[in-house]
Amino acid sequence: MPARPSRFPAWFIAFACAALLLAACQSQGGESGSPGASASAGGTESAAASVNEPNELTVLEWSGYEDPAYWTDFQTASPDTAVDFEFGISDADILSLMEGGSEADIFHFYTGWQQFYVDEGLVQEIDTSKLTNWDKVPDSFKKLGQVDGKQYFLPWDWGFTSILYNTDHVDGEIESWDALFDDTYAGHLSMWDDGPAAVTVSSYIHGWDETAITDAQLAQAEAEWKAQKPLNLHYWTGEYTDFCPEVQSGDIWVAYAWQGCYADTLYKESQPVAYANPTEGRNSWVGLYGISSQTESYQLALKFLDDKLAATSCGNAVTNFYYGCVNQEVMDAVTDPVLIQAFGIDDPSILATTNFTPPVTQAQRDAWTAMWARVKAE
Amino acid sequence: MLGRRGSLWFLAVPPYLWLLLLFVVPLGVVAAISLLPGSGRINFGAGWPSLNHYREVLDTPAYLRRLGISVGMAFVIAAAATVLAYPIAYFLAFRARQRATVFLILLLVPFASSYLLRVMAWKLLLGREGAVNWVLTSLGLIQEPAGLLVYSQAAVVITLIYVWIPFAALPIYAALQRVHPSHLEAAADLGAGPWTRFGRITIPMSLPGALATFSMVFIPTVGEYVTPSLVGGTGGLMYGNLIQDFFTRAGNWPLGSAMAVLMLLAVLVLVVVALRLVDLRRVAA
Repeated sequence: MPARPSRFPAWFIAFACAALLLAACQSQGGESGSPGASASAGGTESAAASVNEPNELTVLEWSGYEDPAYWTDFQTASPDTAVDFEFGISDADILSLMEGGSEADIFHFYTGWQQFYVDEGLVQEIDTSKLTNWDKVPDSFKKLGQVDGKQYFLPWDWGFTSILYNTDHVDGEIESWDALFDDTYAGHLSMWDDGPAAVTVSSYIHGWDETAITDAQLAQAEAEWKAQKPLNLHYWTGEYTDFCPEVQSGDIWVAYAWQGCYADTLYKESQPVAYANPTEGRNSWVGLYGISSQTESYQLALKFLDDKLAATSCGNAVTNFYYGCVNQEVMDAVTDPVLIQAFGIDDPSILATTNFTPPVTQAQRDAWTAMWARVKAE
Repeated sequence: MLGRRGSLWFLAVPPYLWLLLLFVVPLGVVAAISLLPGSGRINFGAGWPSLNHYREVLDTPAYLRRLGISVGMAFVIAAAATVLAYPIAYFLAFRARQRATVFLILLLVPFASSYLLRVMAWKLLLGREGAVNWVLTSLGLIQEPAGLLVYSQAAVVITLIYVWIPFAALPIYAALQRVHPSHLEAAADLGAGPWTRFGRITIPMSLPGALATFSMVFIPTVGEYVTPSLVGGTGGLMYGNLIQDFFTRAGNWPLGSAMAVLMLLAVLVLVVVALRLVDLRRVAA
């Protein structure tokens, strides 16, 4: 029998390639894994790099935020700068992309996730002395962007979460978050597809401390959400893709919602809707921008964020997308009755009872999302 | 000239390299991630490989149940798509004659439009004010539009069968083209009627194509997540949706990877068992 010509076996090649890839990943993890190094690099490196910074920016965003209306002041001031957008679909996704070595210079996420970026050295301090619009931001918003007394994040958009309901199908006012569990609305309810949000709602209903949910409480929440599951038309994922159209067609009567859809439905007058002020309080969220610790365009990123705070960009967020913006001058200038109603500007008691999203730990995040996965899998 | 051996290398190396780099290596990376001890950042230097994530999946009955449901749905979808595609393939192979090319192009026309667009069209058809509800109310079969035609397991099954049918017809068509008319003529000369010829010659000779179709639909459908997320509602979600959630919503890549590897193993086991039960060479013979 003739000898078979020797060759590299396929498994050997696969192993070698995998080993190379893993080694590359490992070295990347090591480089960016030092919080101290990256946090301190912000001020010194950026000042030195400003002269030779590339005239391009990459922003890790949520779909829809790439709309030029959201950053029109920067576009007008810096028409020659190339701005690219990458997209994430959740806070966890955006964190994963940054952890995975995204080349984004700026990233956008929501309250509750600040500590992760600082602990993992993914963000650098913001030099607020270079921001011309910074004094228009109230201190309460500024504080949300601080970790350990340092301003790592720039707050930008904000809003409420509460229950949006169709007054043609709901008798009286909804006064509690437990309306989401009311089988009177079976087939016409819709919950946001998000584990931490589900735990937040449970904690409001039961009066639990959201930052210290016990195993027993989580098990109770899981059982309740499993029982609630068949009542939903579907779990919604996108405010203007699979949620608001169903509210406006009359298929969804009671839902976990942000105020954007509420305002949009009021403007379109497609259905009679109201936005609840639950006795447990509404929830409020704030969008934050961070500058990557790996950016080579720190000064440009600062300019981009400063221009986002300017009147036109911030104002467009309010008037076009019905999201609040942290520029207080913009919010003070709101006179449209629909927006005043949507943001609760005429009723200070709403803000007094509102619950702001607290930071979560990695363990909590894992437990809550796993709980939600089990609910969905049931 | 390259010669026979050189030509073989020239032809074989690019596709194998392609598969190796874009299929085998990523699969290896997914398997490696599934063995990471933690759940957060992907850091291969974080500690020794662990089977914790596999344990978590196997200890959670809801995940396994959803895998079972997904396998069942994939089986129904693959079987229905194969059965429904068969007459199309038969028509193309035996009845269309010179117009076969035209019909084949027509069959492939849906692929010119976006997959999402086609699925969204079903959402409109099955919606509260969609065509199906309109027909049912017009015929007096229901008094009010049934809102739950969309956002259900049935909607996922119907939509995926529709999506797969044009694909499913192609392997069967290829198999039917190998049925030589002389076989059928000989059977007719020996007194076999049309149904006997179909049952004793056409079906057995096209069975390998039909089984290939079944596998081609079944395997990817088990891990499907786009269609269920669009039309499945809370009851029509599949195992693939859970995997997607762990990657994109939970940021727990190791657990998502473990679920993906377990699904791959389950499908491999099913395929191996099926191949043991159905000997394709014997069927073809």
